[in-house]
Amino acid sequence: MVATSHDVMPDIELYQPTDEANALDLANELGSDGWLLGGGQDTYGWLKDRNKTPAAMIELTQIDAWKGIKEIGDGIEIGAVTTITEIANNPLVQSRYGLLAEAASKVASPQIRNVGTLGGNLNQDARCWYYRRGLDCYRAGGNICYADSPEGLNREHSLFGASRCVAVSPSDTAPALVALEATMVVSSSSGQRLIPAQDYFIGPDRDIVHMTVLNDGEILTAVRIPSTWANAEFYFEKVADRNVWDFALVNVAAAIKVSGGVIEDIRLACGAVECVPRRLEAVENAIRGQQRSEEVASRAGEMAIEGARPLNYNHFKVPLMKNLVMRAVRG
Amino acid sequence: MEQIVRYREDVFGEVVILGVSWDLLYVVFIAVAVLLVAHAIIMAALANKKMDKPSAEGRRVMRHESFDRWFHWIMAASIIVLIVTGVAPILGWRLAWLDIHWISGLILTFVVVVHIIRGFFWQDFKSMLLGVKDFGEPFDSAKKPGKYSFEQKGMHWTVTVVALAVIVTGVLMFMEMTTPFWERTNDMPEDTLGLIFLLHGLSTLALVALAATHIYFSLRPEKLFYTRSMISGWISEEEMAANHDTGKWSPKEAD
Repeated sequence: MVATSHDVMPDIELYQPTDEANALDLANELGSDGWLLGGGQDTYGWLKDRNKTPAAMIELTQIDAWKGIKEIGDGIEIGAVTTITEIANNPLVQSRYGLLAEAASKVASPQIRNVGTLGGNLNQDARCWYYRRGLDCYRAGGNICYADSPEGLNREHSLFGASRCVAVSPSDTAPALVALEATMVVSSSSGQRLIPAQDYFIGPDRDIVHMTVLNDGEILTAVRIPSTWANAEFYFEKVADRNVWDFALVNVAAAIKVSGGVIEDIRLACGAVECVPRRLEAVENAIRGQQRSEEVASRAGEMAIEGARPLNYNHFKVPLMKNLVMRAVRG
Repeated sequence: MEQIVRYREDVFGEVVILGVSWDLLYVVFIAVAVLLVAHAIIMAALANKKMDKPSAEGRRVMRHESFDRWFHWIMAASIIVLIVTGVAPILGWRLAWLDIHWISGLILTFVVVVHIIRGFFWQDFKSMLLGVKDFGEPFDSAKKPGKYSFEQKGMHWTVTVVALAVIVTGVLMFMEMTTPFWERTNDMPEDTLGLIFLLHGLSTLALVALAATHIYFSLRPEKLFYTRSMISGWISEEEMAANHDTGKWSPKEAD
């Protein structure tokens, strides 16, 4: 059914577990009927518009074990319901993983960052007008991509990796975590699994209705960032139509180790160009060991956009992505 | 009706068909499993009354030419890949299925077209025709078939209809996708597309049932010699005499 905004929440069961075991049991019991709720910034629109109709919500923000930032043996661990503001302002994150602090500070608006959580930002659903409007597109179980039709408005949509659906990953923190080689801690009542950030997000070719590998009953409980890239040189830039309260048209996250002007190692990821944060491995391999220069940056930019398949209205993203990658490599 | 067909409102508020209800997949799985298990039990109960199996020793006659055996196994492989990749997203298996699916679909289309041409012009097409007389065959133990039994002909023609339905609807859906050969236009009316998805889904369900039934019978002890002939090409003269009317089918001797 096409969306009708009611501006009020539907009648829905609300569970507010205060300990991990209870939350995991609830997630297991409710399965796909239980909507995992972080700060609610992605949730409330869906529910008010009646485009998603779960039977219950499981609010996770009361679980202290999944909040906060702490040092672990190798790096830091950030609880999944830690607010974006806390991450952006945390001295440990700012000093060692400035890339994430910078990316977090660019998420939406101050108000949203104050309540929005890292888990919510990473697990938010695709941003596509048509899908969000409640149309029966591929991602919603239908047979059509409205955004990729002759009249479709697809300015914000993908350049890479489209498979029927052309929506993109909207998160700002996701590319930063991919660049930092983070690991997602996914828990369920039957145990825990650790998933590299790069593998956590999945495209429509593998699963057109989900954007992550989370199964029913599983919860992203924390994100671990290893010390590998601590204190490296970082670059994050987000281009959006507005400076606040907007999603990226393209963003870039880079972690670079430079010694004597030589790029010893680098990890690069772009957001909002594919349904997953796009790791630019070919670019990394090509410029690793090279003297940092304008020419190398230019080559990196050119390589980054190889294989791009713009849609009717997003050709501008190609030079935008190229320039952002160039700037990230140039530093 | 919602148990069979999935509907949804389109952008104009009109109700359009999205496709088949995939709950039917489980219905098909269960129904086929129940029927085949029941058949296996009944056959096991009757087994004592049966005579000895004919020997595979002695002179051999050719049942399937090498070309046809290759055709059969390529078609079987492509159908199995199509079924697995087609039901994977329905069962929630996460794999990049679509490219594998359409490539297998193209292979199936190609071998079926070749088979149709070969069947009409180079094979004994009449031996596969299903006539009114054939319907009496299962009820008269004195009646023996020519090259193909009533059941084999029935299976062949049912698979033909279902496979053609899958192929035609599959090709129409393929034309709506971005492929290495063309960019999708996405301009087919949603109700037409939904109907194609529905027919593709229904024929897929039938194909799942037929493939399961075919595999089951190919593994039954009394039919194993047919399966062997689809691998090695021959059956023994004794097997032919026990199961076929040599007046209606006189194959050449196998090498």
